[in-house]
Amino acid sequence: MTEAAWGDSADAADRSIVEVGNLTKSFGGLVANRDIDFTIPRHSIVSIIGPNGAGKTTLFNQISGYYQPTSGTIEFDGVNIVGLAPNDVAELGIGRTYQNIRLFADMTVLANVMVGRHARLKSQWYEVILGLPRVALEEEATRTRARELLELVGVPRRYEDELARNLPYGEQRRLEVARALASDPKLLLLDEPTAGMNPGETARMTQFIGRLRRDLGLTILLIEHDMKVVMGVSERITVLDYGEKIAEGTPEEIRANPRVIEAYLGKGATA
Amino acid sequence: MTRDRMIAAARVGLVAGGAMVFVVTIGFVETVARREVLADLLSLSTVMIASVAVITGVVAARPNTRDPEPTGQAATLRGVVAGLVAGGMLGLFAIFASAVDLRDILPNLSPSSVQTITFDMEPLVGAAILFIGGGVLGGLGAILRILPVLPTRMVVTAAIAIVVLSIMEQVLRVMLSELELRTVANFFYQSGALTVQGAVAVGVIAAALVWLRRAPQSPVHGLFQRATARTTRRSSLILYVVIALLLLALPQVIGRFPSDVIGNAGLYILLGLGLNIVVGYAGLLDLGYVAFYAIGAYSVALLTSPQSFLALELNFWLILPLVILIAAAAGVVIGAPVLRLRGDYLAIVTLGFGEIVRLLFLSDWLKEYTNAGQGILGVPDPTLPGLTVPTSDPEAIYYPILLACIVAALVAYRLAHSRVGRAWNAMREDESVAEATGINTTNYKLLAFSLGAVFGCLSGALFASKIGSIFPHSFEILVSITALAVIILGGMGSIPGVIVGALVLVGLPELLREFDEYRLLVYGAVLVAMMLLRPEGLVPSAMRRRELHDSTDPDEQYEEEAGVETGKPAISGGVA
Repeated sequence: MTEAAWGDSADAADRSIVEVGNLTKSFGGLVANRDIDFTIPRHSIVSIIGPNGAGKTTLFNQISGYYQPTSGTIEFDGVNIVGLAPNDVAELGIGRTYQNIRLFADMTVLANVMVGRHARLKSQWYEVILGLPRVALEEEATRTRARELLELVGVPRRYEDELARNLPYGEQRRLEVARALASDPKLLLLDEPTAGMNPGETARMTQFIGRLRRDLGLTILLIEHDMKVVMGVSERITVLDYGEKIAEGTPEEIRANPRVIEAYLGKGATA
Repeated sequence: MTRDRMIAAARVGLVAGGAMVFVVTIGFVETVARREVLADLLSLSTVMIASVAVITGVVAARPNTRDPEPTGQAATLRGVVAGLVAGGMLGLFAIFASAVDLRDILPNLSPSSVQTITFDMEPLVGAAILFIGGGVLGGLGAILRILPVLPTRMVVTAAIAIVVLSIMEQVLRVMLSELELRTVANFFYQSGALTVQGAVAVGVIAAALVWLRRAPQSPVHGLFQRATARTTRRSSLILYVVIALLLLALPQVIGRFPSDVIGNAGLYILLGLGLNIVVGYAGLLDLGYVAFYAIGAYSVALLTSPQSFLALELNFWLILPLVILIAAAAGVVIGAPVLRLRGDYLAIVTLGFGEIVRLLFLSDWLKEYTNAGQGILGVPDPTLPGLTVPTSDPEAIYYPILLACIVAALVAYRLAHSRVGRAWNAMREDESVAEATGINTTNYKLLAFSLGAVFGCLSGALFASKIGSIFPHSFEILVSITALAVIILGGMGSIPGVIVGALVLVGLPELLREFDEYRLLVYGAVLVAMMLLRPEGLVPSAMRRRELHDSTDPDEQYEEEAGVETGKPAISGGVA
C-alpha cells in the first residue's frame, strides 16, 4: 500500500495537508497563540519548537479539536476543522500522542490499540447485541491489526495482555504511538515523543519517526525539545515564542536565523 | 519492640470490642440471638461474637511492616492479647449495663441483650467467659493465620458451610421434603437449625471437598484446572444444558418461599447488570438508578391495571416493547442533562433525579394519574395466551425473571467484549483522550444510560407484575444503594459478580428476616469490609483483578475465580 500511496501523492506533494491561517487562541487575557500562519506539506515531517510556554501544545490541541480557536482557520486535507469535536477530527485522520503519556492505564496493551481503531470500525451496538457474524469478523480483524501495530512500534508480544500502566516507560511511549496509528491517520501529531528518554532510546525513536513517514506515508507534526532530534528528522521547522510564530524554514535556515538564536537557541546553536 | 507489638494487638482488640459493644447497644445481637445455628445449643449471636473474636485474632496476628514474618509464638500471643482485650471490653460493658440502666439513652439495649451476651448467667461470670473465651478464640484466629493455607481453608470453609446451611434451613428442608427425603431432612435439621450430627456431617463434607480440590496428594487434584483448561465447545455446551435444566427445575424443587426469594434476587440481578453497564463499564456513577426501576414498574401498572386512569388493561407481553422504548427514552432524558458532569457531581445530580422521580409518583399534582401514595393496585399477571397458570405465583413468575436475566447477561457480555465495551472503558479511563481517539463520548454516555435504563425498567416491570400492586415507597433510594452494593460486592464490571452479589445481598437477607431491620448496617459493614479486604469484588472481572493486585503474584486463591472466568467466553457462542 505504501508504495502506491507514495506514487499517488507525489503529484500532490506540493499541496499541503494542513493549512493554518491567522490562528489566535486566548484564555481570558492570556494570548497563547497569536495570528499564526503555517502549513504542513504532505508526507513531510514538520517540527514546532519554542521555549516553554510558547504555545506549542495549545496549537496541537487546536489542530486535534481539543480546543476551539478564538479566531482563525484550520484546514485539514481540504476540510475546515474549526468547530469539529475531537472525535470527528480523529475520524478525519488526525492521530496524536501526549506530552505526558496518557494511555488507558487500566486496560490491557492490546485493548489500548484496539480502542485506537474505534473510528475505523463499523459494528453498531445493536449489531453487537444481536451477535451478527460480521461483528465477530471485525473484532478478529481489529485484534490482528492491533497486533501488527504493536509489532511495528516494537512492543513485545508478551506484553499484549499486561495492563498498560505496568509497561516500562519506553514501551508506554511506543504503545501510545501504536494507539494513534490504529486509527489509520494521515497526520500524526507527536507531542515530545522523546521526553524522558535516554540517548539510546531517543536515537531509536528518531529513526522510528523517519520510518513511519517512509513506510506508512504519514505526515508528522512534532513538538520536540531535543535539538538533535529536531534537526535530524524535520524538513521544516516552525518556531514559536510568546505565542507568535517568529520563524519558519529548513533546519539550516532556522539554525542561522538571528531571531531564533536570540529567542530560543542562544549560544548553543553555534556549537 | 515486643511491647509495641502487644500495644498494637491490644488496639486491634479495642476496635473489635468497640464494634461488638456497638452492635449490642443497637439491639442487633439480641435480634440474631433468636436464630440458632445448632438446634438448642448454639445461637447465631454466639457464633457472631465468637467469629468477631476469631477475626480479631487473625487481624492481630497479621504480619506488618515492623514485623514482616512473625514467629508462631509471637503471633499467637498477639492474637490472644487482642482477643482478651475485645472479650474483656464486651464483658466490662455487660457488667456495666446490667448494673446501670442505660435504656434512656440507648433504647435498644434491652436487659435481654445483656443476658444474651452474658449467656444468661450472672454478669460477672458471663464477663469472665467473654474475657477468657475472647483470648482463646483470638489465639485460635492467630493460629489459623499461621497455619498453612490448606488447613485454614478447610476449617474456614467448614465453619461457613455450617452457618450458611443452618440459615438456609427453611429452603433446604422444604427441598428435601419435596424430594421425599424426609429422613435426610430430619437427620440434618431440627427446630429451625442444624442438628449436631448434621453440623458435623456438613463440616466434614465441606472440609473434605476443599481437601479433594486443593491437596496435592488428593486423587482428583488438578482435575478441575485441567478440565477448565481443556474446555471444548462441546463440553461447555453440555455444561450449559445441565445448568439450564437445573435452573428450569429449580422452583419446582425448592418450593414457594425460596422461589420468591430467588425471584427477588433475580430482579436485583437485572438491576445490577444494568447499573453495571453505567457504572462498571462506562464509569458513570449513577446513584439514582431507582428512577428507571420506578418508571418500568409504573409503565406496566398504568398500561395493564384495570385501576389505571388509562384503563387499557393490556397484556404484559404486548406492552413489553413499549416499556423498553419508554425506558430508553427515560435514559436519554435523564442522561442528557448530566452529560457534562463528571465524578461526584454526576453522582449527586443523579441521586437527585432518583428522588424527583419517586416524589413525582407520590405527588398530589399527578395524583389523577399515579394515585399518589395509594399506589396502583391490581397489576395483572404476565399471562401468556393459552397458559392459564397464575403467573404471579412465585414459582411461575420465576420464569420470566430468569428469561430476562439470561437475555440481559448475554447482552451485557456481548457489549462488554466489543467495540462498544472498549469505548466505554476508554471513556471511564480518560474521557478527553477517548474523544481524541475517535470515540463520540456524548453518544456512548447516552447509550450507556439508555441500555442501563432498559435493564432497570425491565426489572421494575417484572417487579410490578410480581407484586401486583405498586406504591411510591417501593422506589426509595435504598434500591439504588442495594443495586450499587450488589455490583461492588460482586466485582465492578463482572457479570458473574452481579449474580453472586445479588444472591448474597438480596437473597440471604430474605432468608434471615431478622436482619431486615439492620439491613443498612450489614450493607455498610459489607461494603467497608470489601473495600478493605477485597476491593475487586467476590468474582472480579479479569481486568479489575489485575488492576488491584498487579504487584502481588497471582496466588492460589485466584485460580478458583479464574475457573469461573474461563467458562465465560463460551456464553457468547456466535460472538467469540
